[in-house]
Amino acid sequence: MTNVFLDYRLYHDRAVSLRETMMNLFNRKTSIENFRALDDVSIDIEPGESVAIIGSNGAGKSTTLKILAGIYRPTLGTAVSSGRIASLLDLGVGFHPDLTGEENLMLNGAMLGLGRNDMKALIPEIADFAQLSRFMDTPVKYYSNGMFMRLGFSLATTVDPDILLIDEVLAVGDVGFQEKCYQRIQDFREQGKTIIFVSHDLEAVSKLCNRTVWLHEGRIEMDGGAEDVLSGYLQKASARMKKISTTATPKEWGSREIWFDSVKLRNSDGIPTGIFRKGDGIIIDTVIKSRIPSRVDNVVFGFSIHRADGETVIGTNNLEMNQPLLSITGSLESSIEIDLDIEEPGTYLLGIALTDPEASRDYHWQEFFYPITLIEERKDPPLRLSQAVWKQE
Amino acid sequence: MTDKWGISRLVLLMESLVTKDLKVRYKRSILGFAWFLLKPLFSMVVYYFVFTKILRFGGAIPHFSLFLLTGLLPWNFFSSSLSATTSSLLDNHRLIRSIYFPRMALPAAEVAANLVHLLLALVVLEAILIIFGHYPGISIVLILPALILLTMMTVGIGMLLSIGNVFYRDVKQFIEVLLLAWFYASPIIYPLDSIGVDIVQSQNLVAILKFNPVSGFMEIMHSIFYAGTWPPLWCWISLGSWSFVLLFIGISVFRKAEPVVVKEL
Repeated sequence: MTNVFLDYRLYHDRAVSLRETMMNLFNRKTSIENFRALDDVSIDIEPGESVAIIGSNGAGKSTTLKILAGIYRPTLGTAVSSGRIASLLDLGVGFHPDLTGEENLMLNGAMLGLGRNDMKALIPEIADFAQLSRFMDTPVKYYSNGMFMRLGFSLATTVDPDILLIDEVLAVGDVGFQEKCYQRIQDFREQGKTIIFVSHDLEAVSKLCNRTVWLHEGRIEMDGGAEDVLSGYLQKASARMKKISTTATPKEWGSREIWFDSVKLRNSDGIPTGIFRKGDGIIIDTVIKSRIPSRVDNVVFGFSIHRADGETVIGTNNLEMNQPLLSITGSLESSIEIDLDIEEPGTYLLGIALTDPEASRDYHWQEFFYPITLIEERKDPPLRLSQAVWKQE
Repeated sequence: MTDKWGISRLVLLMESLVTKDLKVRYKRSILGFAWFLLKPLFSMVVYYFVFTKILRFGGAIPHFSLFLLTGLLPWNFFSSSLSATTSSLLDNHRLIRSIYFPRMALPAAEVAANLVHLLLALVVLEAILIIFGHYPGISIVLILPALILLTMMTVGIGMLLSIGNVFYRDVKQFIEVLLLAWFYASPIIYPLDSIGVDIVQSQNLVAILKFNPVSGFMEIMHSIFYAGTWPPLWCWISLGSWSFVLLFIGISVFRKAEPVVVKEL
C-alpha cells in the first residue's frame, strides 16, 4: 500500500433519522467530524514475508488489515494485493447461526472462491483440525464460543491462501489448540506464504514475524526488523507505563548521597534493548555518583526481578553472592551481568539498589523500574540427533 | 484491492447466498416453501370477498380470484424482495466488515431467492389456471423477458434501498407505507386495459397509472396468464425503460456509496 490515508466520519451523537438531519441542516450544525485513522502510510510487503503490525489501541492496526483485505477502500492512496487472501479478522463471523457447520463451510468457501467440489474435499480436513468432525451437521448456534472460533481458524488456514491476515485472534480455544494454531502459522511461514499479523502479544510477534511495523496514531513510527522495532516500542511503552501503570508502580527512594546517575540495559552482544532471548545475558550498565566527599567502601549493589504485579522472583546483591563490594569516590561506572534460565517467558520488572547494610543506610532504590521482556525463541532444528545405535542379538 | 472476481466466482457466490437464504428461511418451518404460495392465496381470498361481496366491482371480471392471483404472485415477489433488500446490508454488517466480496451480491441474492419462489409459484399458477379453463397461448413465452426486466428493476430499487437504510433507518419504515400505496396504485386488483374490461373509468387516470413502474409487468401477467392474449405495446415500453433506468441508477449509486457504507456499518 502506498501513501494510504483513511478517514472515518466520526459522529458525535449521530443523527440516524431524517428528521434529525433536517434539523441539523436548518441549524447548520453538523455533528460530523473527520477522523484520520491512517495518515500517509506506505507499506510494501514482498511475498513470503511475515510482518507484524504493533501499536497501542486506536493506532490504526486493524484499519490497515482491513485495507489490505480489500474491505475498506483508502480515502486517498492505493492498496494493491495479489493472490488469495484468507483473513482471520473476526473468526467465524461469516457463519450463519441456523446453518450447520458444513453448510456454513460451503458458503464461506464460495466467498473465498472455492467451488463446491473443491470445498467438499476440504471439509473433512477442516473439521478434523477444528476437532469438530462429530458436529458438522449441527447448526452452529449450538456451538460453544470456542468451537465457533476453532472452526473459523481451521477454515481460514485450510483453504490454502497465499496471504494470511490475522487480527489478534490467536487466543483460540484451549492451550492445546493454541499450540496447533501456532504450529500451523509456522508451517505457513515455512511454505513461503505471506503473513500479516496484528497483535498486542509481543511474544507472539517475536515468535512469528521477522519484520515489524509500529503504528502510532495512524502513522508509521518504525518499520524494520522485529527486534529493533520491538525494543523501540517497549522503551516507549515503558516510559508510558511509568506514568499510568495499574500494576506495580515504579518506586524510587533513598538518601541519594550516592545515586544512580544513569542506567542502561543491553544484551550480551552489546545492543541496548529491553528484550532478551534465552541465552542472552542481561547487562545493567550504571554510572553511580556520590556527593560524600570521602571515599565510601562496602557499598552493596543489588538487583531484583519481579513479576508485572510486583511479586518478587529474584532478589540478590554482591554481598550475598560473595562478590566484591563497591568503593566510591565521586563517580564510578559499574555493571552487573545477569544470566537467567527462562522458565516462563514474559514481561518482568527489574529493580536496582545501592545500600550499606552495615551502616543501615539506603542510598538509592529504584524498584519495579525497568521493564524487561524475556522471550523464548523457536529453535531450528528443534532436535539434533546425537546418537543412534542398531543392535542385533 | 483483492483477488480477482470473475463471472464464475460471482455465480458461485450468488448461488451460495441464495441457497443459504432458502435454507435459513425454511429451517424449522413445517409448511416451508408452501408459504410463498399460501400468502398470496390468503390475500386472494380476502380481496376476493372485499371486492365481490362488499365493493362489488370484481363481479365484472370472470374468475376474479384467478385474476387476483396472477397479479398477487408477482407483487408478493416485488414487495418481499424490496423489504428483504432494504435490510440486507445492515443484517450482514459483520460479514461485510470481515471479508471482501462484491457487496452488490447481498441485495441481488435476496431478489434471486425470491425469484426462485416466484418461478415455482408461477408453475403452480399455470396449473390452477388450466384447471379452470384459462389455457395459455403462445404469448406465454413472453414471461421470460418480462421476468428478466422485472428482476432488473427490483434489483435496482433494492440496491438504492439497502444503501439508503444504512444512512437512515427511516427507509425501512417508509418502504412499508410506500408499498401499501404502491399496491393500490398498481393494476393488481383491477385491470387497466389488458383484458378488455374497463374498471378504471377515467382515461386520464389510466394514462397516469401507466407511469407506475410495475404497471407494465402486471398488465403483461394479466394478458399472458389470465387472458391468454398478447400484451399491449405500452407495457413493454414502460417496463423496459423503467428497468434499465432503475438498474443503472441502483448500480451507480451503490458503487459510489459502497466505500462509505462499509465504514458506516
